[in-house]
Amino acid sequence: MRRTGLSAMALACAAVLAGAVPAFADGTASPTPVPSRSAEPTKAPSPATSAEPTRAPSDDQVSVRPSGAPNTGEVTPSSGSATGGLIGGGAAAAIALGGGVFLVRRRRANGV
Amino acid sequence: MSPLSRRAFAGAALASLLVACGGPGTTTGSSTSPPPSVSEASVPPPAKSVAALGRSVPVGLKIPAIGVDTSVMQLGLAADGTVEVPPIAAHDRAGWYRHSPTPGQTGPSVILGHVTVGSYGDGVFRHLGELNRGDKVVARLENGKSAVFAVTAVQTVAKADFPTDEVYGDVDRPELRLITCGGPRTGDGYQDNVIVFATLST
Repeated sequence: MRRTGLSAMALACAAVLAGAVPAFADGTASPTPVPSRSAEPTKAPSPATSAEPTRAPSDDQVSVRPSGAPNTGEVTPSSGSATGGLIGGGAAAAIALGGGVFLVRRRRANGV
Repeated sequence: MSPLSRRAFAGAALASLLVACGGPGTTTGSSTSPPPSVSEASVPPPAKSVAALGRSVPVGLKIPAIGVDTSVMQLGLAADGTVEVPPIAAHDRAGWYRHSPTPGQTGPSVILGHVTVGSYGDGVFRHLGELNRGDKVVARLENGKSAVFAVTAVQTVAKADFPTDEVYGDVDRPELRLITCGGPRTGDGYQDNVIVFATLST
């Protein structure tokens, strides 16, 4: 009796596990549609642009208002601040080196 | 180490520290000076009203005061919802935001251009911030007509405080907005936008 009870429990556990596997499979499968859904809104503005003449008589004079500030300035990788930093760093290194030479000379003079 | 050499070491360390701070210090000094020019001159525009033009897409732009004579492309929205900008190229051009009125129509027509184009150097709107009230801006239209505007205000504003309503909001006459970047440079761009406001004059 006890053995059949245990085997029944084992069977139940196996059934639960078996049921859980497809559930996990569904769970892993479901995220893949999400990027395709997020891709849809990015496509949404393009039909809007193609339908521009029909949008003209809308309430606002600027029918689609952009968000944020426009990025109308591409800077060069080597900007003025970067070269300033390099010059400062180089000068600091040169002075530190000079200080080191001075110390070595002092040490030699003292004969330590 | 003798007291004298210790003093020399301390002196050298202090000198190197001072120089290291001096390098970036000069650049931060120059970057702190522009912020006071947040609002240059927002003068009320002239009262006379000029008849609006019909819809016609802009194809060219001339600003004689700063030597601009460029073709005009069309711009839409970028994927992140901001306005598109013209491509980075050696001879870049200005771009008209196609969801705004065409120049000469009632409303704020918006034209954008780069101040610098990376390694190519100066952009088409490099000297936009040097415009003054009354300077002429001519938009050549697809139908062969021209819309002539007069500058009413030039503003330099922090990008974080971009005046969306002032730029894109409804107005009761034909107006023009010329937009580029300006102010102090950071590692990945400019901190400010330069905005020129103009109204149709003829």
